[in-house]
Order: sequence, then structure tokens, then C-alpha cells
Amino acid sequence: MVTVEAAETGETRRVTRRPKGIRPTRGYRVFQAVNAVILTGVVIVTLYPFVNIVARSLSDEAYIIAGRVNLVPRGFNLTTYKLVMSDALFWTNYRNTVVYTVVATVISIVLTTCYAYVLSKPRLKGRGALVGIAVFTMFFSGGLIPNYVLITSLGMKNTIWAVVVPNAINVFNLLVMKAFFESLPEELEEAAAVDGLNTYGTLLRIVLPLSKAIIATMVLFYAVSFWNSWFTAFLYLDQQEMFPVTVYLRNLIAGATGAQSAGGVAESDAVQAAATLQAVTIVLTTLPILAVYPFIQRYFVSGVMLGAVKG
Amino acid sequence: MLHRTWRRAAIAAASLLTLTLVACSEEASDAKDLSGNRAGAMADYDVGTQFTATEPLSFSILYNNHPNYPLKNEWLFWSELTKGTNVKLEPVAVPLSDYEQKRSLLVGAGDAPLIIPKTYHPAENQFVSSGAILPVSDYLDLMPNFKEKIDKWGLKPEIDTLRQSDGKFYLLPGLHEKPWQEYTVAVRTDILDELKQPVPKTWDELYTVLKAMKAKYPDSYPYSDRWSKPTPGGALLRIAGSSFGTQAGWSFQHSTWDPAAGKFVYTGATEQYRQMIQYLNKLVTEGLLDPESFTQSDEAARQKLANGKSFVISSNAQTLVNDYRPDLAKTIPGAKLVNIPLPVGPAGEINPASRLENGVMISKKARDSKNFVAMMQFIDWLYYSDAGQEFAKWGIEGTTFVKDAAGKRMPAPDVDMIGLNPKGTKHLQKDFGFANGVFAYGGKLDLMQSFFSPEELEFQKVMNTRKPVDVPPPAPLTDAEREQVSLWETPLKDYVTQNTLKFILGQRPLTEWDAYVGELKAKNADQYIEVVNKAYERFKKDNG
Repeated sequence: MVTVEAAETGETRRVTRRPKGIRPTRGYRVFQAVNAVILTGVVIVTLYPFVNIVARSLSDEAYIIAGRVNLVPRGFNLTTYKLVMSDALFWTNYRNTVVYTVVATVISIVLTTCYAYVLSKPRLKGRGALVGIAVFTMFFSGGLIPNYVLITSLGMKNTIWAVVVPNAINVFNLLVMKAFFESLPEELEEAAAVDGLNTYGTLLRIVLPLSKAIIATMVLFYAVSFWNSWFTAFLYLDQQEMFPVTVYLRNLIAGATGAQSAGGVAESDAVQAAATLQAVTIVLTTLPILAVYPFIQRYFVSGVMLGAVKG
Repeated sequence: MLHRTWRRAAIAAASLLTLTLVACSEEASDAKDLSGNRAGAMADYDVGTQFTATEPLSFSILYNNHPNYPLKNEWLFWSELTKGTNVKLEPVAVPLSDYEQKRSLLVGAGDAPLIIPKTYHPAENQFVSSGAILPVSDYLDLMPNFKEKIDKWGLKPEIDTLRQSDGKFYLLPGLHEKPWQEYTVAVRTDILDELKQPVPKTWDELYTVLKAMKAKYPDSYPYSDRWSKPTPGGALLRIAGSSFGTQAGWSFQHSTWDPAAGKFVYTGATEQYRQMIQYLNKLVTEGLLDPESFTQSDEAARQKLANGKSFVISSNAQTLVNDYRPDLAKTIPGAKLVNIPLPVGPAGEINPASRLENGVMISKKARDSKNFVAMMQFIDWLYYSDAGQEFAKWGIEGTTFVKDAAGKRMPAPDVDMIGLNPKGTKHLQKDFGFANGVFAYGGKLDLMQSFFSPEELEFQKVMNTRKPVDVPPPAPLTDAEREQVSLWETPLKDYVTQNTLKFILGQRPLTEWDAYVGELKAKNADQYIEVVNKAYERFKKDNG
């Protein structure tokens, strides 16, 4: 850590000193200006919907209907937050999401790491076939009903395993990780072997400690995708107490927008979740996973790039 | 070696297939013998009998979980149901947002619960050929209440529309004594008063009114509509279409029965359809109908209404009370919005609503259960008997509702339901599980209307004086035909929708109507209608 910091400070010193020595070319400055403008635009475009949702969640219903809520809440109130938070089912589903995400991420990381590590070894017999099996699933799948029958006959229906096991290995993530392991110097592992470590020892004591960046990235990838996923839970779970909060949210929003969702005939009992209710639920559901980003982000770029560039 | 293995596998597969086929054909022969399926059933069950199973039973049911009243196991509905009928229902909870998908999956995987409610015709068609769904028409003798209501209310023609090519039907629909037209047009009557205009009774009068509004408020589009996603102009085209004697928007069907010619014709090419388009085109060209009506979100349409940028919008009883009025109350105090009786068009004074509702499918595997007869009796009692319907809708007299001297039902003092008793602290749906869309719909007129506000009652009174629309004769397709026409349906429907909008919005002149009809033919509209007419003739010959 100390060396890294030293290097960083060295870098900044050199940058600040630069104007005295070499002046950036005109072209470079134009490039920077254009870059800044475009990126600011992107930031605004991506940020606006989110700020708008937050503003809506804190606004009075009347202002939303009148179309007067943009970036700042009008008629500030917290009643809808209190309402949503008082729904026991919301919290049950919320807890499920947390549990599913944590368990699923752990399973995924373990399985993906093991698979990727094995595949990164050129001496492995049948390596091509093993990669082929994984890649095959990227292009072909058994389809909904066969998958459902499989999960049901395995007895996983209505258990947490139906949610956390079926999508445990994401092939894209697997290949990124494989490329990363391939980029590690072979000599390191040879040295470990000479010092008496077996394969597992090498993986656990040498390789993994060197792979924090890629593992952090994978944790982020997996955690976000499991947090946001609703379809597997919807398919394999029959009790609302077991649903993740995404299904709760989806039902709330889809139910509110589709007056005639059910086959062209309107539901006789109006399905109207208030606009603020939607906004509040969206905010409450996305906030935690957003909060994860800043902590992992510093690993993020190096993690993905490492595998890609050096592989 | 390998070769031999393959051959063995092939033989095994072939014999397995034969076995399945044999098994299937055997099954069909004993359809009527119910002696082994009467466990728990009542011997003397009939109209007016309270169904009570002779032994405790339980049935699985697919449950459409509504976000407004999420399923609770401690609902009075469940406990009272079990107390009265000795039947315990085991719900498989599916979110309303994706109910259809899960239903297809469960039926397809052979894992469906025994009772599958909330099925809208013709959604059951896709399951018929798989053989997973029971042809309920074979077992109507077990359902005295259902049969009685069909006879008493003259619903046979409607029921016939549900029949498949084998002459049977696979869905137990909800039955209404009277058609219930929900959708109509809401108009700002305070603006009408201001302009000294009467409430429009016909589409032509509506045109006059819109014109007057436009003259007074040139910046507005007097009519800006909602319900345009995913079907563009879904509600507007539906109500306008029905008044012009055709089917458009939400209720679009490819074939329309032409009583004069005694055959089916292609809807999108009929004269009635053209007239409807012409009328709406006139509204758009004169700036009376907002062109965005066909694409905008519901929220955008509501905002325009709430901000006084429009004065007319499609509506139903709920949206009027739940959406528009509260919106307006916050933005334009003094605004008065009223649902007018459905404007009359060239089709005359008709009530276009169907008297059938969504209904219940039953898994074929229920037939093998020893409790099959009891289950059919139970469904008959809960969904079709007067007592069962009242129970599902209102609950228990004295607990959840009370009757006044005239027999009019009111929520109990501490119970509220859609604003009928705002002082009630408990909610009939959320806290008790009654008036649940899965169980409560249809029924006698007084039960149907028991939740209506006086205003809605008035509206329905006008609508009930109008004559119900004639039901087209059945023309059920065989599986092969259905597969064939489904290949034509999507391009045809897309083309009709696209051109309907182009004509209405003036992007294509109506003088090109004949060219458009020719283009429909090029997209197999004629072949489509030929198949339907052939099916109609066949059904007539086979079933009288």
C-alpha cells in the first residue's frame, strides 16, 4: 500500500508541474474541452431520471399530476415513505433480496473462480471441451418449460436454492476471470509448488490474494445482477413471502400501469398505485445496491481491464 | 457397438411413444363414468343447496395476487369458506403483473393447480390442444347453478362462442345477468354549461360540443385520450368502434359477423370500420382530438386534463373517481367531470358489453381425483350460486356487511369498500379478502350493482335500456387451422393498426381506402376469412 501511495503522489506532483514545462498542445486542450462537455452531458442524462424519481418520492401527489416535479421535490412530505415502510410484506421481501443476493453471490464467486482457474491451465486435458460446454450455454438454452421441470424435479421449487443455484455461473464473467488467471505469471505458481504447496494451496494462498481486483469486480457484477433479478424467483417460487423485493416492485408498477393487462379486458377493481408510491419503492429498492458501487469501484476498472489487455 | 446402442435407443423411444398414445386413447373412453370420483361430494346437491363436502377436502388454486390487496392467510374469506364448505383452498400465489406467463408455464410443465381462475377467453385456446385442460362442457350436469343461470338469462349464444372445434368448451366463464359497459367518455360539464351546450348523446353531438370547446379555447385539444399503451387508442377505438358497429382497439377481432350476408367478413375492411376512421379523422383534422391520444402515456393524458388543456377523456367508473376528479380537485377547483352514457353511433342504441366475464379453467388431472365431483360442486357453488357469489363479494352478513330494510347491502359500520363507507377503518378487500377479483365477479343485477355509486347506477340504468349486441355464431377453428391463421394474424393486425392510425391522423388520405383493402387482401385477409367461414359452416353442420 505504501508504495502505491508514493507512486500516486509522485504522479500528481508531475501533473501539477507540467504547465511550467511542456504546455499541452492546442489540439489536446480542445479535445479535453469537448470531452468534458460530452461527459457532462452523459452525466446529466443518466442522473436526471434518478434525481427525478427521488424528487417525486418526496413530493406531494398533486404536483406530480400537474407535471411540475423535475429536480426539486415540491410539497415536501414523507408520508409515502412511512406508508411503504409500514407494509410488512415489503420488508419480508426486502430481507429475502438481501439473503438471496448474499448467498447467490458467494456461491457464484466460488463456482466461477474454481471453474475459471481450472480452465486457465493449458495443461488441463479436455480444456477445449470444458470451455465449449460453458460457451454453448451462452447461445442455446433448454427453454423455459424444460428448465422449470428440471428445477421442480430436483426438488428446488419453493426453496432458496431455486433462486441462487441455476444462474450461478455467468459465462461472460467466467471468461473474464479465466483471462485474468492466464495473465498471472506461471513462475509464481511453480515457485509455490517448489515450496510444497499443492494445487489447492496454490489457489488459496497465492492466486486468490493476487486476484482481489478481479474478485471484487465479479462480486459487483454478480451482486448487482442478483439484486435486480426477478424472473427466476417469479418462476420457481409460489409464495409471496419468499419473493424478492423486485417481484413486489414489479407487481406494484405493472399493476398500476396496465389497466387492461389481462387480455384486453380491464380489471374491474381499479389498479392504481399512486405515482409517489412507485417512486418511493423504486428509491428504497435501488439505494442499497447503489451504495455498494463506490466501495468496489476502485477495483472495477483495473479488474476488468487486467484480464482483457494482458490476456 | 455405437450403432447398436442407437438402434436400441430408437426402439425404446418408439415403444415409449406408442405406450403414451395407447394411454391417451384409453383415457378418452371412460369420460362419463364418475363412480370412482364421488368422494366428499353431496348426493343431493342442487340449486339453492349450500355446498358442504362430506369430508374435509383441499384443492390447489392458481391465485392472481393483486398488489392492492396482497394475499393474506388469515383472511376471514379463507376461514369462513372452509367453515361453510369443508373445503380448504391452497393458493399458488402469482403476481398479477405476470400471471399469464406463469399460467402458461405451469400448464405447459404439467404442474398447474387444479383450479385456474382469471382466464380471459380466448386465452384458453392455447392450452386446448395440449390436453392439459378439462373440457368442462362434458360435466355441466355436476353444476346445477351454472346451468340454471345460462337458461334463465338466455346466455346460450354467448356460451356457444366459447366452443372449440370439437364442440366442447374448456372455460367456465363468469356470467352477468345484464351487460356491464364500463368504458365511456367523461366530459367537463362545467365547460358545457359555460358554452351553453347540452350533454352530448351521440357521436355527432359530441363533435358539435368539441367544436364549441375548440372555438372558445383555441389553444386546447378538447379531447385528449389515454389507454394507448400497448394498444394505440385502445379504449377510444373500442368504444367508438362498438358504436359504429365494428370492433377496434382493445376489442379488435379479425372477423366480424355480417348478418345480412350470413357470413364473416374481415373487420378492418368493412364499411363500418371506414366510417369510424372517417369520423375520428375529422376530429383530428379539425384539431378537436389530440393526435397524441394514440401514443401518449396515461399520465400525460391525465396531466392535460388536470391542467385544463383538454376537457374530454375516455373513462370508467373507477378512473373517474380515483384519477380524474382528485386530479382536477387539486388543480382546477370548480371543475366538474361526468361520465356521459356511451355516445350513440350508426349502430343504434346498443350496449356493446359482453355478458361473459373472465373465468375458470380446470386441470385435466382433476378428473382422475376421487374428489372430482365434489370439486365441480364446490366451484359451482362458489362461483355461480347466489349465496356463493354474495359470500365472495360481500362476506358475512353482520360481520362485513349489513342489509337495510329494502334489502340493500351496505358495508358494516367499521368496514370500508371503495369509498362506500369512508368512516370504516378496515378494508373489505385488504383485511377480509372479500370482493376479490379471483372469486367475485358477475352475478345478478342487484349484486353486480351493489358497489355502484348512485352516479354509476344512473349511468348503468341508461345503458341497460339499450339492447345487448348480437353475438356472432360460433366458428371454432381446428388446431391446424389455428396454427395457419396465427401466421396471418400478426402481420394483418399490425397492418390494420398502422393504417388505422395513418388514416385517422391524416398521414394517408381516406381516398386510398380501396388501395388499403387491396393491401389487406395481399396479406391474406381473404384466405383468413375463408378459413373462418369454413369453420362456421362445419360447426353448423356438426352441431345443428
